[in-house]
Amino acid sequence: MGLIQRVIEAAGIATIGISIVREYAEQVQPPRTVFLKWPFGHPVGEPHNRAQQRAVVEESLRLLYEIDTPGTIVDLPFAWRRHDYSAWDQPAS
Amino acid sequence: MGISRWKNQLLALLATRFPALAKKFTDSYTPRASTGDIPWVRPAVPLHRAKLALVTTAGIHHPEQQPFDMQDANGDPSYRAVDGDRLFDNFTITHDYYNHSDAGKDPNIIFPLDRLKELVAEGKLGSLAATHYSFMGHIDGQHIDTLIRKTAVEIAEKLRQDQVDIVLLTPG
Repeated sequence: MGLIQRVIEAAGIATIGISIVREYAEQVQPPRTVFLKWPFGHPVGEPHNRAQQRAVVEESLRLLYEIDTPGTIVDLPFAWRRHDYSAWDQPAS
Repeated sequence: MGISRWKNQLLALLATRFPALAKKFTDSYTPRASTGDIPWVRPAVPLHRAKLALVTTAGIHHPEQQPFDMQDANGDPSYRAVDGDRLFDNFTITHDYYNHSDAGKDPNIIFPLDRLKELVAEGKLGSLAATHYSFMGHIDGQHIDTLIRKTAVEIAEKLRQDQVDIVLLTPG
């Protein structure tokens, strides 16, 4: 995934990737990465857990704009289902 | 289904259920290390005006599209262009290297289209591209060159033509 990300960024489009295997991101060095120590097949969370999915998506997009060093990997502080995601559980306006 | 596909699917299921086994599973695949400068551009417009496309290696696609090749041990470097407006009405996932039963129940966990549509409706994100791109991960051997010299270059050009400002990438 990181190899594709590097090609897209090289074409002039800013990118951020979600990683669940930190070693892959360390090897491939994509421009920007958020890391979650979460199970395979669940990079954005659990089925139908809207607040948890929102947390991952919104933090990823925020960091796409905030990271200012190429190759940065940010470890997101979300402990799978033990984390309190209520801050992201706002109804759509 | 061939024995090797069955074995890959079983290993993927075990690695998902028992995280201690995941390390062993990931150690069996080593991505090509990068050298030299890391590509880098700033987002051209603020988030509330940006057009976003998703790119995934989770193997999701429309059922009428050709499945990814799961017989080749080096993976399949091709991609499927997917229509974000109708993908979740009827989708399939071709990928033996992770267990996608949960993604089958709610594909947002690998391809968060609904969450992104909410952000657009709330005015936080400018817009979503109509077309997104799906790969099958686990690319190895000679297919790595095909990926980085041909197929990834093709989708990058298509994203540029579609005036996409930012891309979010998700694995399987």
